[in-house]
Amino acid sequence: MTSSPEADATAADATAADVQTVSVETLSLFSQTPTVSIGQTGFNPALNRAPVPGTVDIPLELRVDYVPAWKPRRIPLKCIGLTLPDGLEFVPEKQPQLKSADGVELRPIRPPRAQPEDAEKQRPERCTRIRPPADALSLQDRLFYLLQPPLESWLAGQELIMPFEPFSYQYEGIAWLFSSQSALLADEMGLGKTMQTITALRLLLRSGQVRRILLCCPKPLIPNWQREFRTWAEELPVVTVEGNGARRQMLWQMPGVPILIANYELVTRDFTEMHEDQQPRFDLVVLDEAQRIKNRDSNTAKVARAIPRRRSWALTGTPIENRPEELGALFEFMQVVPPHGCPDMRQLSRLAGKYILRRTKDLVMQDMPPRIDRDAELPLTSAQEAAYRIAEKEGVIQLNELGDSISVQHVFELVLRLKQITNYDPLTGESAKLERLVADMEEIAASGGKAILFSQWTKTIDWLEPRLRQFNPLIYHGGVPVKRREPILAKFKEDPDAHILLMSYGTGAVGLNLQFAGYVFLFDRWWNPAIEDQAINRAHRIGVRNPVIVTRFISSNTIEERIDRVLREKRELFEAVLGDGSGEPSRSLSLNASEIFGLFDLKARHKDGARSIGPAAVEEEQEAA
Amino acid sequence: MESPSPAVSAGLQAAPLPVETSTAGYPGIIPERDGAGMSESGQEKQLRLGFLETIEIDGRGHIGGLLVTNHSGRPLEFQCTTPVRPNRTQEILFGETLRPWLLGELIGSTLLERVSIKPGLVITSDPSLLELQNHTTIPVALAEAQNDAAAHSLAGDEAASAAVPATRCVRVGNSLLRFHQGHNRNAESLERQQHLVPESANLQEPLERVREALAETVRTVFSR
Repeated sequence: MTSSPEADATAADATAADVQTVSVETLSLFSQTPTVSIGQTGFNPALNRAPVPGTVDIPLELRVDYVPAWKPRRIPLKCIGLTLPDGLEFVPEKQPQLKSADGVELRPIRPPRAQPEDAEKQRPERCTRIRPPADALSLQDRLFYLLQPPLESWLAGQELIMPFEPFSYQYEGIAWLFSSQSALLADEMGLGKTMQTITALRLLLRSGQVRRILLCCPKPLIPNWQREFRTWAEELPVVTVEGNGARRQMLWQMPGVPILIANYELVTRDFTEMHEDQQPRFDLVVLDEAQRIKNRDSNTAKVARAIPRRRSWALTGTPIENRPEELGALFEFMQVVPPHGCPDMRQLSRLAGKYILRRTKDLVMQDMPPRIDRDAELPLTSAQEAAYRIAEKEGVIQLNELGDSISVQHVFELVLRLKQITNYDPLTGESAKLERLVADMEEIAASGGKAILFSQWTKTIDWLEPRLRQFNPLIYHGGVPVKRREPILAKFKEDPDAHILLMSYGTGAVGLNLQFAGYVFLFDRWWNPAIEDQAINRAHRIGVRNPVIVTRFISSNTIEERIDRVLREKRELFEAVLGDGSGEPSRSLSLNASEIFGLFDLKARHKDGARSIGPAAVEEEQEAA
Repeated sequence: MESPSPAVSAGLQAAPLPVETSTAGYPGIIPERDGAGMSESGQEKQLRLGFLETIEIDGRGHIGGLLVTNHSGRPLEFQCTTPVRPNRTQEILFGETLRPWLLGELIGSTLLERVSIKPGLVITSDPSLLELQNHTTIPVALAEAQNDAAAHSLAGDEAASAAVPATRCVRVGNSLLRFHQGHNRNAESLERQQHLVPESANLQEPLERVREALAETVRTVFSR
């Protein structure tokens, strides 16, 4: 089928017209001319009715149905919190009540603060922060240390008054102790271990980290600690454990005492007697002169290790007094090695780096007046010489006759005998050392100076006293009752006429502050250079203003020369071990049996002549040589 | 008969901890009594200080910390928030006010609500944190070292001044404290209390502690 274009257009127009018609009709429902053309279907007559238009009230919407909305709101945040422990507060000192005559209360006023000098203004502010220890793992523990104020502001101007400004290395030591559970403060003698310890204790108490502390020290040092506590932390209540058993028991159990001081002997005795349940518990135990527990099998060491505690500190200027293994005993007390653990050198070195803080005067006190050592090599007087030669000859003969039954004790007795003769001849009383001492002392006394003399024997000290009468000597050794010792030291310090203090190494070498003495005499030599250094450092320590002159008396051509040679070698070894830990210390720092035998050329009679005697080591060394 | 040791005979005993009372408007400030310098119990009035800081962690937003100390800087309480990062909508809608809202209103207010020991004064080094003042009655101040303040003043450092919507200065310790515009009453209030803080106190230093503590928190907790 085909269609013309005209026919298609007509058809399309017709369809459009129909649609148009319906549309018009629909629209016209709302117009005034409701002309409706309905298809003639016959089915719906209702459609022929005219529609009735009407109105309906529709309320206007006040807001649109949907609006994208956003309101600022508080986002809930999680928090991590830390409440720091309360520190101990102490009863404040009573303020003096000032009242005028008419009863009006007066208030003291302070003078205006001095303006600092320009140089002081420009000085950068020092700031020593407490760092969290490496073993503090929890965030709370670490934050506790980080949030503490710098030591300078904590100590200096605000809550805690310090009598003197500590040195920067002391601030570092205090901060190190404060954050250490286990610590060995091994600063060289005279650098202020006592002060650093007291200040760290003070901070720990004030920050609520510890509430009960036991300080254990040798008996002669108790007055020294009491005095230092009064100086550096006068507000801290300190109780010394002393008296009879019942009183001591009461003191051990007494509540509310932050610091107990006790000597090693009492601690050992009382804790041995106490049942484990009765033993007092401490937050911190401090061992002063901790080399006292170097023998880990001793009662003292066992008791010290068994004291219930949370923190363990040890103080000593000579952590290795004889051999490096002694450190193991200290580390065991500090609970950083297991019981009976024997760390090797590599482990010791690693532990030392972590738990030992040691500074030497050379490093930290570069502006400290020097210590001048001089050896006075003195020939014996003729009487001494004769007595010495006879004693040596007879002694060696007797030793040789002992043959293989010889012991170190026999040799030791001879050494002591000869050393005593080098001090003075017991028959005539002649003494080259005394002559030299008197000559030196005359100069020292004339210039108003003071000197300390150390000897191994109380007998020598007692012998010297009447012979030094013109210098008003004072005696301080183990034979002097403890209660009389402090007044002796006070007199030596304050009496301008008391020019010399005679001390024994055993009693006077540790813990005393005698930096006002500019001269030290070592009348005879101790067996261990570390002990000699401790003795010398009574005078050459912080606060010393002038050089300290140390004179060692050595009788020439005697056993003292030989001892001096060995001690020099020992001192070099000591410095190597403690200096940088790189030494290979395998030998004792005290004279050992081989060395004591080696002081003499001992030979036993033999059918073929004579042969050397003594411990095997001597023979081996000689053979090797 | 043994004589008592010197320390025992001196009668030194640990005393109960002093209790600080609170006032309605300034919880950390112990109310003055009779204008005297020492209270009846012998303890000095104290002003607790709050040190507020925030740090930004790369890609994780901001965390804030509030350290409450006593008048001499001894820490009493520390609170820090978890990291918070604004979303895109917040960034668009808050515009320039995003930082003050985030740091001051959101972080600052949260921390101030959470601390159980309320400070008497909140100190910060970030001008954005002054926004906190609009949401608390506790005075909020911006600490400036006196040298910095003098330098700004001498150099006429307008940019620095413009960044600090603060007006009145009060010297506390060795710092100058500026307060939010419109809250000069706080400055007047603090002037009456400033003697409670030692002259030598360095108010910048505890803010450094807060920053270190926040960094430690990030290292220890949020970096896991």
